[in-house]
Amino acid sequence: MLELLVPRLVSILGAANVTTAAGDLSNYQYDGSADRALPQVVVFPGSAAEVAAVVAACNEVDCPYVARGAGTGLSGGAIPEAGGVVISTGRMNRILEIDVPNRIAVVEPGVVNAHISEAVKGNGLQFVPDPSSQAACTIGGNVTENSGGLHCLAYGVTAHHVLGCEIVTTQADIVWLGGKTVDAPGYDLLGVFIGSEGTLGIATKVVVRLVPLQQERRTLLAAFATIEQASQSVSDIIAGGIIPAALEMMDQLSTQAVEEFVHAGFPTDAGAVLIVELEGLSGTVDALVTDVREICTRNGSHDIRQARDEVERERIWLGRKSAFGAMGRLGSSYYVQDGVIPRTRLPQVVGQVAEIGRRYGLRIANVFHAGDGNLHPLIVFDDSMPGEYERVVAAGADILRACVAHGGSISGEHGIGIEKRDCMTLQYSRADLALMARLRTAFNPRGLCNPAKMFPTSRRCGESARVSASAHVAAEVERAAGTAF
Amino acid sequence: MPRNELRALNLPIADELAKRSGSKPRVRPLECQPYAVAGIIPKLVFSPRSLGEASKIVATIASEGAAIVIRGAGTKQWRPPHPYEVDVVLDATRCSGVIDHTPADLTVTVATGTTFAELQDVLRAHGQFFPNDPPFAAETSVGGMLSAGLSGALRQRYGGLRDNVLGMRVCLSDGSIAFTGSRVVKSVAGYDIPKLFVGARGTLGFIGQVTLKVAPLPREQCGVVGSFARAEDASDAAQRLASSPLFPMATTLHDHAAARHVRALGGQTSEWTLIVRCGGSRSSVSRQVDEVSSVLRASGASTLDVLDADRLHFAWSDIAELAGGEIYPGSQHLIFAMACLPTQVPAVLSAVSETFPQAQCTAHPASGVVYAHVAADSGPRDPFAGQLERLCAQERWMLRVLAAPQSFGSNVRAPLPADAPVALWRSVKASLDPSGTFDPGRFLAGI
Repeated sequence: MLELLVPRLVSILGAANVTTAAGDLSNYQYDGSADRALPQVVVFPGSAAEVAAVVAACNEVDCPYVARGAGTGLSGGAIPEAGGVVISTGRMNRILEIDVPNRIAVVEPGVVNAHISEAVKGNGLQFVPDPSSQAACTIGGNVTENSGGLHCLAYGVTAHHVLGCEIVTTQADIVWLGGKTVDAPGYDLLGVFIGSEGTLGIATKVVVRLVPLQQERRTLLAAFATIEQASQSVSDIIAGGIIPAALEMMDQLSTQAVEEFVHAGFPTDAGAVLIVELEGLSGTVDALVTDVREICTRNGSHDIRQARDEVERERIWLGRKSAFGAMGRLGSSYYVQDGVIPRTRLPQVVGQVAEIGRRYGLRIANVFHAGDGNLHPLIVFDDSMPGEYERVVAAGADILRACVAHGGSISGEHGIGIEKRDCMTLQYSRADLALMARLRTAFNPRGLCNPAKMFPTSRRCGESARVSASAHVAAEVERAAGTAF
Repeated sequence: MPRNELRALNLPIADELAKRSGSKPRVRPLECQPYAVAGIIPKLVFSPRSLGEASKIVATIASEGAAIVIRGAGTKQWRPPHPYEVDVVLDATRCSGVIDHTPADLTVTVATGTTFAELQDVLRAHGQFFPNDPPFAAETSVGGMLSAGLSGALRQRYGGLRDNVLGMRVCLSDGSIAFTGSRVVKSVAGYDIPKLFVGARGTLGFIGQVTLKVAPLPREQCGVVGSFARAEDASDAAQRLASSPLFPMATTLHDHAAARHVRALGGQTSEWTLIVRCGGSRSSVSRQVDEVSSVLRASGASTLDVLDADRLHFAWSDIAELAGGEIYPGSQHLIFAMACLPTQVPAVLSAVSETFPQAQCTAHPASGVVYAHVAADSGPRDPFAGQLERLCAQERWMLRVLAAPQSFGSNVRAPLPADAPVALWRSVKASLDPSGTFDPGRFLAGI
């Protein structure tokens, strides 16, 4: 297969954009999850036409392929588990058009998330989805995983901010799903393409919406004795009709780890802290601040701090964004889960997570997008101990079982990929999964486009699916990306 | 595709299904007549009370090779293209009721036949609402609203219909019942298939239940109304507001004829009327009103009026209908929507009025959509051929026909963009409904 394919790829892209060197390939075997697998070839197309030609070449020899942005994904979506070709979008990194009056931008998939907001800041606009990896992750990856972020509570996730995608189909055709306008005719294929984890085709252009920047912003840090008190405050804020721009919670283990790491000014004696960010027209936000302070005080917070300036605000957010990285201080490795629950169930589920930790003898720190009920329990462990990783995965699966039992979801924003595919059966019946399989068949009948992702294998949920190697990989990716998750 | 004539099998199937599903069908033509779709009277009408009942009916009818047309309140049955065949109507109105609503979770789960009005009543009691304002708001069912995929002007702040749908329980043509999406506000577990069913017009399966994301009602709401001599100026004002941190809930632009239908305005006389709906805390709304007013003035508004919450609410019941609803009950109008870049709204308005001088036009300038209502006898027979079709192709305006009277012929079709991904549409239809059971011909491109 390779003897035929590699010369074809070289003739399409030029030798400089095709590599089979072992040293190069090893850089493409992992993402931010614990799994890894080596590709046989990595290619660097520069245009949609070149991506289409690569896909056609792969089709001819039945070779699997997977597109890859920055490799910051957390569920194995870009890992070439079946071998084959990794199609890097690294060279397709241009912002093609910024249309300020119509509040849209057209970008290539390899554009780094944060670069869009930087490019339009001067026009009073922003691209809202802000995953913690936004300094490194790319729009193509955001579309593929339907990424969220700290500010998606008020503004929505990637799906709400993408108007259209040019894609290369698995038949190697170049088509548009959606476009620059709303209400493109036909089935909402864009809606299912976003978040399809690279299994339905490859995005080669993305039309993103730009949203006006708010005038005024207040960031509060409220300390509580217990997670229950903080959770009740979250429910009361939402029930009171206030939708903050961001509403984050961290438990004591996370704040302590973060304090040692970045000195964000978190009170380490508190059982939980809430970070509440409120936005609006100048002169109107302080009234909301008063309401939120009242709610927090009523629920037992006696320590509510407000960022006095942008420097203090940045430090609070750095603390929150460093939570994953800081876990490295507590153990050699960590394993992060991404379950979602109805936010009113937060206290119960947090109790169950603690119980799971006790049962397995594992330390679990909790970081939540509390506003939308998205939990990130971080299980800290020592990967050099034999069998430890397997126990961690089993504990993670128990956490997901608890989320599903409360009517939730096994993933809020990290995706299923390899890591959680065997847990899909917790949330979905055979008929539910069959419907998804029908959709995949409609787009990807031969299954060559990112095979085996998202759908359960013969393993049970909680059995380690790690292809090889270690969770140190997450830390390596972090360093490579130059950012803390 | 030729189908079995159902008439001969009519009664045995009806009897057997009545026994098996617990849902007794209507069989007599007189009983079936009220369930006609675009004038075609079905041979059987089932009104299941649950998704389980519906699934048994669907499996049996599909195995007979007959076509099933799904019907909610029937408000949009005149929207072309019409189904090729109407063997069996599956009437969703008895699958009704709120299944779960936990206000602090901002989610609600309802059965498909629940009316939009009932949903809003339930939510309002908790200070919440489903943030969409589709036409036919008084009668439409939630399932019908989603299947038609018509988003109102509130999408400016809250996103379109599809953005507020979290999960669905659906029945496919083999009778299988599948849950898709989630019941929580955020999930990326598996494909986001609910979005595919929004706007699919029943052609992929029967929506039994839906989980929606709801929003808190703003504590205060207010409308600012500006009169303009030129559409360009009004649209320009709308764009300036949409690009500002004022975040209006919605902005609508009406020509003289359309504005007359907004009773709360008390007979506007200006050429163009721009209505800006503001919402938020008390202090925020009063700031918004001041700033919106000064933007409208600076853009050339000749008069300004402020609608309090009650008048705004009254106005909105008419405004929502101007976006594709039935503004002259009982009459038949050609109604279409044209999506464009927001800054192209004035160009679309002028192109539409050139082809249809009698058209009444409403625009949602921040989202880039123009809605036109044309009296049946005032347009050309082949309404979109010629200049409009050329402009659509050249400017990539997206045309949707929302209703067409019989005088225009039975199936007025909007030209599709040359590069529309029709092959993928067919492939999705073939994969989800391989027997071609659901609403054959009711989608685009013959699907």
